[in-house]
Amino acid sequence: MSESALNRILQPGGITPVYQPLFRAAGATIRMHGLECLSRGPRGTNFESANVLFEYVRLKREESLVDRACVAAALRGASSLPQGLALTINVHASTLGRDHAFLPFLTSTAAATGIELSRVTVDIVEHAPPWDGVSFLAAIAQLRDLGATIALDDVGLGQSNFKMLLDVKPDYLKLDRYFVESCAHDRERRAVIAALQQLAREFHAELVAEGVTTKEDAETLQQLGITLMQGFFFAEPLTLEQAQAFFRG
Amino acid sequence: MVHDTNERTHHILIVDDEELIVLAMRKYFEGLGYRVDAAHELEEAQALLANRAYDLVIADLRLTGIGGVEGLQIVSDVHQRHAHTRVILLSAFGTPEIERESYNRGADAFLHKPKAMMEIANVAMNLLEQS
Repeated sequence: MSESALNRILQPGGITPVYQPLFRAAGATIRMHGLECLSRGPRGTNFESANVLFEYVRLKREESLVDRACVAAALRGASSLPQGLALTINVHASTLGRDHAFLPFLTSTAAATGIELSRVTVDIVEHAPPWDGVSFLAAIAQLRDLGATIALDDVGLGQSNFKMLLDVKPDYLKLDRYFVESCAHDRERRAVIAALQQLAREFHAELVAEGVTTKEDAETLQQLGITLMQGFFFAEPLTLEQAQAFFRG
Repeated sequence: MVHDTNERTHHILIVDDEELIVLAMRKYFEGLGYRVDAAHELEEAQALLANRAYDLVIADLRLTGIGGVEGLQIVSDVHQRHAHTRVILLSAFGTPEIERESYNRGADAFLHKPKAMMEIANVAMNLLEQS
């Protein structure tokens, strides 16, 4: 019988962090705002694909263990990058709702890597119940007390519903690539983005456009008032070595 | 029977918890010109099926220890997600009831182990030609 895939994912080096640059685009001025920490599973396995990795992890109901491994790998790597950069880490809602030791883990990992939690945005992914809603909201409040900001992933899709917006009151709403792709040529997509932008303003939150792949889409998003963007038009996800080389300039 | 490499390359998923069987089947089917992915447990197969479309899935009935029938779950998952995907179930432990159940769930073939690789490949190629 083969070794459990979960063991391979969780062993040292099983998770490789990559860093997706996030840009602030204002007119013709584009500057790097921060990095979203993404994760890849063991090389040469099906889990190099993040979609396969996290679908597997959710089916095994081991989100918390793997979130910890991803956060540890991401912050360890980010400690060698410039200190001023904002960092986004992805955490399952179920991890915040079920794993009462996750926040102490995050705090100690951040301290050990020299990263202030005020630089960190916790991007909440996969909000599907069941998990303990009371514990989840308590964890959100504690994260804010620790100085972190909160983002809600995949707004407009699946479980990112209005109840979650009201409960979490996120600082950032992540606009899924489904709405972004070809928005320059799609009036209905622009209407959805404009509605979400208005919603974000009402919540004193900021919309972040994911999956921007063309200049036309980037310009259209700016016209709609969105300035935080990421995607292949700006930059592909960077390995740690690429990110270090980039910042060495 | 010779696989026509001019056709679109068919994509096959092999699911078995025995690494040696996976390696042998992968090598054999890649040698015939197919694209091959492999999974070693039920959830790995399900995660792949949620993200990729396959023309054919070849799955072992038993993926964990004694008494497992995870292959039946794979047959159900395949037909919920990808109606066009063909499924071959392999088993060294299959009873007539399990075989009937696999066909009820939508399996296209149920093969009793041990089976020569060439026999499995012939069934696979026939199914892919029909699809």
